[in-house]
Amino acid sequence: MQKNVWYRSIRRHTILWYVAGRSCWRSRKISDSYTGRIYVLRTALILAIAVLISLPCFSQDWIRTGTGLGVEKVRLAVPDFKAVSADSQTAPLLKVFNDTLWGDLDNAGIFELVSKSFYPLEAPGKPEELKFDTWNSPPPNAAMLAFGNLGVSGNNLAVQGWLYDVKNVISPQILGKQYNDQPTEDAARMIAHKFANEIILRLGGGINGIAETKIYFVSSRTGHKEIWEMDYDGNGQHQLTHLNSITLSPRVSPDNTRIAFTSFARGGVDLMMYSLTLGRVVSFPRFGGTNLSPAWSSDGTKIAFSSSRTSDPEIYTIDPAGGSLKRITAWKGPDVSPVWNPKTNAQIAWVSGRTGLPQIYTMESDGTNVQRVTDQGYAVSPSWSPNGQFLAFAWIRHYGPGEPGSQDIYVMDIASKQIVQLTHEGGRNDFPNWSPDGRHIVFQSNRSGSDEIWTMLADGTKQHQLTNSGKNTQPNWSWK
Amino acid sequence: MAASADIFLERDKWGRPLGWSLALHAALFLSIVFYTYVVKGARGEGWGAGGGGDAMSASLVSTIPLPSSQVQTQNIVANESKGLTRSVPKPEEQVEPEAIPIPEKESKRKPKKQPSANQAKATPPPLESNVIPYGEGGPVSGPYGTFSAGGAKGGFGFSGGGGDFGSRYSWYVRVVQQKVSENWLKYEVDPRVSDARRVYITFDIVRNGQPTNIQVEQSSGVPSLDQSATRALQRIDTFGPLPSDYSGNRVSVEFWFDYRR
Repeated sequence: MQKNVWYRSIRRHTILWYVAGRSCWRSRKISDSYTGRIYVLRTALILAIAVLISLPCFSQDWIRTGTGLGVEKVRLAVPDFKAVSADSQTAPLLKVFNDTLWGDLDNAGIFELVSKSFYPLEAPGKPEELKFDTWNSPPPNAAMLAFGNLGVSGNNLAVQGWLYDVKNVISPQILGKQYNDQPTEDAARMIAHKFANEIILRLGGGINGIAETKIYFVSSRTGHKEIWEMDYDGNGQHQLTHLNSITLSPRVSPDNTRIAFTSFARGGVDLMMYSLTLGRVVSFPRFGGTNLSPAWSSDGTKIAFSSSRTSDPEIYTIDPAGGSLKRITAWKGPDVSPVWNPKTNAQIAWVSGRTGLPQIYTMESDGTNVQRVTDQGYAVSPSWSPNGQFLAFAWIRHYGPGEPGSQDIYVMDIASKQIVQLTHEGGRNDFPNWSPDGRHIVFQSNRSGSDEIWTMLADGTKQHQLTNSGKNTQPNWSWK
Repeated sequence: MAASADIFLERDKWGRPLGWSLALHAALFLSIVFYTYVVKGARGEGWGAGGGGDAMSASLVSTIPLPSSQVQTQNIVANESKGLTRSVPKPEEQVEPEAIPIPEKESKRKPKKQPSANQAKATPPPLESNVIPYGEGGPVSGPYGTFSAGGAKGGFGFSGGGGDFGSRYSWYVRVVQQKVSENWLKYEVDPRVSDARRVYITFDIVRNGQPTNIQVEQSSGVPSLDQSATRALQRIDTFGPLPSDYSGNRVSVEFWFDYRR
């Protein structure tokens, strides 16, 4: 009986298999033409796969490099741009353009500009005129070349510029740009700034150049301390506020639309807001007490400042419209000069006098995890670098009677607490402020006799003066 | 029933399929052989340090007859010494008050080094001060022709693998190298380590210059060193957009870190 059941199940199974097999290509019971078609298709498929596999595979591009290879500054040659028109306006515009371009690239801090005395006599104005071997071998021995031409025709100033890798004769072009504008000095200057920024962006690793950034500062050359604005290289200094009172510590917003500052104009010492788009002061709430040193977070959503509305100056945060006032510190002793960590917006560094002399501390932006940064002397004016790694501040390292008492700019690596002294001239150097590319610091110094604005590379080299008249203090570099 | 059971009793005719299989295998093999002989470049001239093209590698910097090094010039920046062309000045400190100079250890696996006497003066901490810097010995005659393939000589090896990104955009490779070197904080490594093997990190650079897919390809054996190398890459937001006339979407980079205290 069991056997019968078994045979029956086999039969059922084989019938099912047979039925399935009819449509399966392995079955032999299917008609010949159908089989033949299947066979042909199968063969064709296999052959196609075989052919495709044997085609060359395009592998991904690879770069292999490493540390320890001694990265040096790029040797960049920037000959004067050629004039391609005989218009009388061309010559002065060309001079402004060449000087501005040279100044921007020299100040960038990432190039070693080849001195003009090494250049060959004919400078190229177009790529066809370029002779590689005169540039990539000594005396110029340049790695990169920025060249081009400038011409005025009618009411149009046209500039063409190229950046070439002269060591790579096969495919040298890195940049090729063309600019058109009005034939004015300001336009020539702006085109030079734009071209320099492009070069710095390409060769400097994706960080925007600072050629179009501005510096805001306090100047008393009109008799009152007002807020002034100038280009990052000192050109175009002009007055912004006309409050006829004392204004202090201008801080521009990250989107370049507003400046927050402290003013005595309304009777007390209050925070005020100046709109760059409207060209006037806009309303901002008053808090009572002494309100000082506003600082914007890098996303523009919060302003930290110091207020003594509770009689002891503490750090508060507020939103740019004046609402959501929140107190952060609650210690005895003055707390002033807050500055945000621009990379994370989660930390604030500030100056606190809780131990007597002012020292620099950091904390989380909700007030927890207070850490002391400086251990001695008199430390003020912290400024956090854009990459979040460094604090620049002004320090009288040995403070007290009998000490030299000079105040210098120092930079500290926050994670490792290692410090570098950037200025050594003596006198008083104060209010350091980082540039948005993290390579420059602007500060005020009285080494020339009166307080003026100075700028330098972030390693302390190339210090030069930007302002010359009146007393100029408390500089602030724009974010872009 | 007998008819349906035939399927099991029939012998499997595998002669024909086997014949097809053999024929196709042979065809595949022949096509590969045919390809290597007929198609240019398939035999590996363009691979590795083979020597095709104009940016290929040599073995040692000092053995390459650079035309410019024969020429004596008065130009103080074009001669053999490091001179004014120092490494990029760093915003970090250059003074380590607690650092005690440690005598260099002999190490077989390290590449040949130049004496560090005239280089120790102003070299920033994250950069090696005792490895042959590129550019030394006069100007480079070709696009990075002085660098050797493979890690053993302490060189820049990007010839080989696939593609010619390195030779066409050597300036971008330089930017990558500079940025990673700047962002590598050597103090993150365990201070008890004085010498370590190389750690190789691979990552991709996408179109907007952002490093992605960061991985340790070969560890140095020191976990803190591997970590500090990975963090150096993670710290970087962008290297700058890839060259606009580059057709690919991404470039792969293999970066090695030499640690020497």
